Amino acid sequence: MKNSPGLLPSALRVFDFSFGQMLWSRRSVFLGLLVGAPVVIAVIVRMVAMTAGLPVINGAGLNGPTVFGLLIWVLFVRFVVPVLGVYYGTSLIADEVDDKTITYLFTRPVPRASILIGKFLAYLACVLLLVLPAVVVVYFLIVPIGGNIGQSFPQLAADLGMLVAGLTTYGALFAFVGAALKRPLIVGLVFAFGWESTVLVVPGYLKRLSVAYYLQALVPHSMPADSSISSLLSLFQETPPIWVSLAGLTAITVLGLWLGGRAVEKREYVLEQ
Amino acid sequence: MTAKTRYFVIVSLLVMTVGLGTGLVAYYVGFPATAFFNGDGPKELQYIPSTASVVAAVEVREIMASDLRQRLRQQFNGEEQDNHRREFQELTGINFETDIERIVAAFDSQSGAGDNALALARGVFDPVKIEALMREHGADVQEYKGTRLIVVASFDHKEFDPATAENVRRKAEMGLAFLEPGLVGFGSTTLVKHAIDLHTGGGSSAATNDELVAHIRSLEGGNAWVVGRVDALRERAQIPEVIANQIPPITWFSVRGHVDGGVQARITAEAKDDESANQLRDVVRGFLALAKLQTTSKPEFQRFVQSLQLGGTGKTVSLQVEVPAQVFDLLGAALPKLQQQ
Repeated sequence: MKNSPGLLPSALRVFDFSFGQMLWSRRSVFLGLLVGAPVVIAVIVRMVAMTAGLPVINGAGLNGPTVFGLLIWVLFVRFVVPVLGVYYGTSLIADEVDDKTITYLFTRPVPRASILIGKFLAYLACVLLLVLPAVVVVYFLIVPIGGNIGQSFPQLAADLGMLVAGLTTYGALFAFVGAALKRPLIVGLVFAFGWESTVLVVPGYLKRLSVAYYLQALVPHSMPADSSISSLLSLFQETPPIWVSLAGLTAITVLGLWLGGRAVEKREYVLEQ
Repeated sequence: MTAKTRYFVIVSLLVMTVGLGTGLVAYYVGFPATAFFNGDGPKELQYIPSTASVVAAVEVREIMASDLRQRLRQQFNGEEQDNHRREFQELTGINFETDIERIVAAFDSQSGAGDNALALARGVFDPVKIEALMREHGADVQEYKGTRLIVVASFDHKEFDPATAENVRRKAEMGLAFLEPGLVGFGSTTLVKHAIDLHTGGGSSAATNDELVAHIRSLEGGNAWVVGRVDALRERAQIPEVIANQIPPITWFSVRGHVDGGVQARITAEAKDDESANQLRDVVRGFLALAKLQTTSKPEFQRFVQSLQLGGTGKTVSLQVEVPAQVFDLLGAALPKLQQQ
């Protein structure tokens, strides 16, 4: 009798059929809107710049690289990345349970953990293939306004790397939440928009128990200081070195996937009749 | 994978590849530079010694024609400035406002005091008239490697002598030479002669100092800039250790300014390592917060303070600032009151 395939080949097989399914699902409409909004904003900003010029706010003249940095920070880092991580990550197993199709997956001669990993890889491919091109399009629309594409290219590369790291880490973390807990979406939203926002401003070691602490250190140049309070608060924000950030994000990803895999292996999923 | 999915993946990867490829090419090749920069800094760098620790440049004609300069003339006694300009023209034959296109200056910390500054002015000059005027004021004309070198009578300056630990009077000379049509070099005779050597025989100029050129390249876009090595200046200044230890460990500094209706500037410091840069960023953030708090009741300065943006990654700390013309108006209004006091 043949041995059942290993974890990785099984995960790749699950990825193969999940990717297309995930890409053309109803959830992707939300993903499209989320990713399309910054592109639409960029088009509007470009049209305004071409006609009336960018506004001067509080004495500071805006230019393309500044607006791009703001969009990355305010839209992507603070909103799009956590929301995608929560929305997709928590649903990797939960959707199969809700649709009552998880049984079919569990009856296959593959390790159960490979289902989670394969679906995680499909989620990653989906979001990266949508988010990263959108960021590149926004970059070419916005940065040439008073800026230089070549000069700002390192910033784009850093921002893209940060987005990849953020989507991977949030996805893995919420994949575990989705696999292990009953109300994963609520827990995920509370974590992403409650816990993470709060601990970053609390002095001490608590901030190290957040993903944003490690993620923001990858792109400190994008962090706006728009008021005296945020300037003062930023004094309390210790920024870890890049290697610590990358190590932290990698550790959270690996731990999230491992714990999620264990949860899928051990937990009994009761399908509602 | 269905055909639809495959096409989506291909289109997505294509957008990313084209975008990133274009960005990468633009980064390495660069887009068309201004006349000020030919991609490797101004052409005047080839006359400056490679050991120069500070290099600065100003687009004189552009700044003289700017709105800000016209405004300042009205605010700060334009008639007196015109008198100074006329005196300079009588002394040298050069009309600062119209004849000079740009000036590139250098300070070489490895040369002795009084012997370490050089300025290269590009513009429209009448060499015969300038030489005649300077001779009238006591200058000597020498011949150096086929170039006429006008040497101003020596002048005294004080220099610290490490052997005696005292300031001693030393004599130094200033020289002026027309290095090529439309380019005049003036400064210490030693450095002017060195500029002539570099022009005739080649050698190691600032244009071959890759580190310096890389820093200068990052200043493209401004009409006035300065870049320098803080560590070299610190050694030259012989600052007491107790004070030197208080100064942040900065290796390079640069300031890029653009003068038009107001002044936009970017000040950049490169620290010794990431930790020093983080500490410096923290210090600057503190000052920015303090400044913002102090100006909450002063709307006229608030706009200026709000424009301060701290940035930089790794070993680099940068501060962007925009000084609108209104700030200069306020300074102009306040200056008579200060003078009365």
